[in-house]
Amino acid sequence: MKTVIRVLIIIVIFILLFVLLNMLLQPKYAETLVEGSMISQYYTEPKDHEVIFIGDCEVYANFSPMVMYEEQGIKAYVRGSSQQLIWQSYQILKETLKYEKPKVVVFNVNSMRYDKNSPEVSEAYNRLTIDKMKWSQEKIDIIKDSMTEDETFLSYVFPVLRYHSRYDKLTSEDFEYLFKRKNNTYNGFLINKNIKGVTSLPTQRRLADYNFSEECYGYLDKITNLCKENDIKLVLIKAPSLYPYWYDEYDEQIKKYAEEHDIDYYNLKNNVEEIGIDYSQDTYDGGLHLNLTGATKLSKYFANILKTNYELTDYRGDAIYEKKLEEYKQAIQ
Amino acid sequence: MLFNILLLVISIVIYLSFGISNFIFILFSILTTFIAAKFLEKKSKKIILAVTIAVNALILIFLKLYGANVFPSLEGLNIIAPVGVSYYTLQVISYLVDVYKGKYKAENNFLYYCLYIMYIPHLFIGPISRYDDMKAQFLSPKKFSINSLYNGGLRIVWGLIKKLVISGRVAIVISTISQDIQAYQGAYAFLAMILYSIQLYTDFSGGIDIVMGVSKMLGIELQENFDSPYYSQTIKEFWRRWHISLSSWLRDYVYIPLGGSRCSKLRKCFNTIVTFLVSGFWHGANYLLWGVIHGIFVLLGDKIKTKFKWLNRLITFLIVSFLWSFFIWPTTVDALRMMGSVFTTFNISDLCANFLNLGLSIADWIVLGIFTIGLFIFDGNKNKIMQKVKTLSPEIKTIILCVGILLIFVFGIYGIGFNVNEFIYSKF
Repeated sequence: MKTVIRVLIIIVIFILLFVLLNMLLQPKYAETLVEGSMISQYYTEPKDHEVIFIGDCEVYANFSPMVMYEEQGIKAYVRGSSQQLIWQSYQILKETLKYEKPKVVVFNVNSMRYDKNSPEVSEAYNRLTIDKMKWSQEKIDIIKDSMTEDETFLSYVFPVLRYHSRYDKLTSEDFEYLFKRKNNTYNGFLINKNIKGVTSLPTQRRLADYNFSEECYGYLDKITNLCKENDIKLVLIKAPSLYPYWYDEYDEQIKKYAEEHDIDYYNLKNNVEEIGIDYSQDTYDGGLHLNLTGATKLSKYFANILKTNYELTDYRGDAIYEKKLEEYKQAIQ
Repeated sequence: MLFNILLLVISIVIYLSFGISNFIFILFSILTTFIAAKFLEKKSKKIILAVTIAVNALILIFLKLYGANVFPSLEGLNIIAPVGVSYYTLQVISYLVDVYKGKYKAENNFLYYCLYIMYIPHLFIGPISRYDDMKAQFLSPKKFSINSLYNGGLRIVWGLIKKLVISGRVAIVISTISQDIQAYQGAYAFLAMILYSIQLYTDFSGGIDIVMGVSKMLGIELQENFDSPYYSQTIKEFWRRWHISLSSWLRDYVYIPLGGSRCSKLRKCFNTIVTFLVSGFWHGANYLLWGVIHGIFVLLGDKIKTKFKWLNRLITFLIVSFLWSFFIWPTTVDALRMMGSVFTTFNISDLCANFLNLGLSIADWIVLGIFTIGLFIFDGNKNKIMQKVKTLSPEIKTIILCVGILLIFVFGIYGIGFNVNEFIYSKF
């Protein structure tokens, strides 16, 4: 009997060590590759947002909820992540609705361009979105929906299976953030103060087929239905970007879909002048994404649209948000 | 009986998962040899024996030749050799010959015969078992004990360490070097030869350790396939320690029937060379020269042995490593060229400068070095260590198992880009 107990204790210690190993070897996304920490930061935030943004880098780089709060008193949160695919946006929205019920969901339609066979679907981006999600049915579904051919479900359950080769790449960050986390965004907005104005742009490629896939439409339908079921106003947007990846043919399809489903659609690419974006100053990567100044201009502009059209509450004066705003202002200085 | 049925069903299901064509091939071998063995007890048995062996051997020979692109006109057929064909063909032949010689009677129970051939743990990389040994294992009452689970588990973990930690790392370097024969000659080729010795050994013996461990857990003891081969002092000794089940099969069913060593010197030489030709061919039609050279070294035997044990071991290791060139580079000409380059291209300084550009980081090289040294220390004291392990308490065995598993998780080479399931010897 004593032997059995001793063996069980050893096994428990082994399991603990195994768990620790998983934690140690998984990237912390605290100081480097911070894009991987954005999805999980949401769990630490108060869940009383009236506006939730979902989508790819075009939301977390371009829309600053703190500016929206300061301008219009909107409580918004950006649940964006790098190359967030539409089936991921759907699951993230589903997960969000378990925590709170916003009045408006803003979905950036850029990801309609990619279906599951697109070369842009990559394991590395999957990891940034999924790794730090809390375990839930949505996480299980998002993994199943997102896995590339080489990936295994088990490697998401036990990150050591994916990250074991980091054993010789561990840095002080891995130890410092072993048991703690670092918030890198302000309500999901990732500040980037760098300026890299437009010098040249890639030429627009002609495509053999401009139609969005049935698969993407299917997920867009799911997002639409989910919002309807929860009495949430869905707003479709296309964030501004100078890169010629959004074709007129794409825009027509979204416009048509929006009309058919009675959804508002804003292609903000068309309002660059009105917003006041100066692509020599307001971008950090030559026109693909906006930097802090560009995002501030866009957020002010879009906050006005939201406030005007969607009966949002003016929360200005909220103690928690005032404190957040103060921290945000310090960060952007 | 129920256990054996279950084992057979599991084996068939797993085997079927590799494709129905695999199953048709193996079923053909099983049926032809099972039925032929029954007739061997009657008249005209020599013809039945010869025809059945010839049919089964011809399938293997054809597949080997096809694999070596000997029939370019048939390339379009896209024939894929059934999994384990090299192993089970030798097993069915040994069964037929043993029945013919009266070593044991033909099996009446089809289940046992099927299980002998299809027993899934040994179907992919051996060891090549004999029917009487396996039947005794199937018939013996299964004593499942914590001890057999521990010992089996330890063997599996050791096999996985060899396969994933050592072989997986070496494979990266070998792949880099062998892909560019223009850039990587001389010292690089020599490094590849030495490392490939380690890769092939850890890959193959690691796989065998897993097979043995699983079998041990199932209460089945298989024949050992390795006995610290790189501690051999001659090539002849090497073949007594390396892939033992193949060597003993070749001895019993090729070398001795040819006349063995109880004949004239010339005939003995002929028998040895033929046996190693068969060995080479069994590995693939491209390895005939490799087999013949090994045969020559076996014939030389003690003639190239010095009085220094460690020097003999080193010489044997170097000879074996050089000859693995036929396995590293895609063609015989390439292999010979690379062997020659070791003596004509002196680029050791280039290798030193490029050491970290061969696919492994400095940490990987250190890990590889530590585990390889550990492997050789283990091999040198194998029996002592194995005996000691058997007497350890369950607590210590649990600790060793857990530490082993953690080491595999951290230092193993697996995941995206690495095919863990593939063993070099499963391709032969």
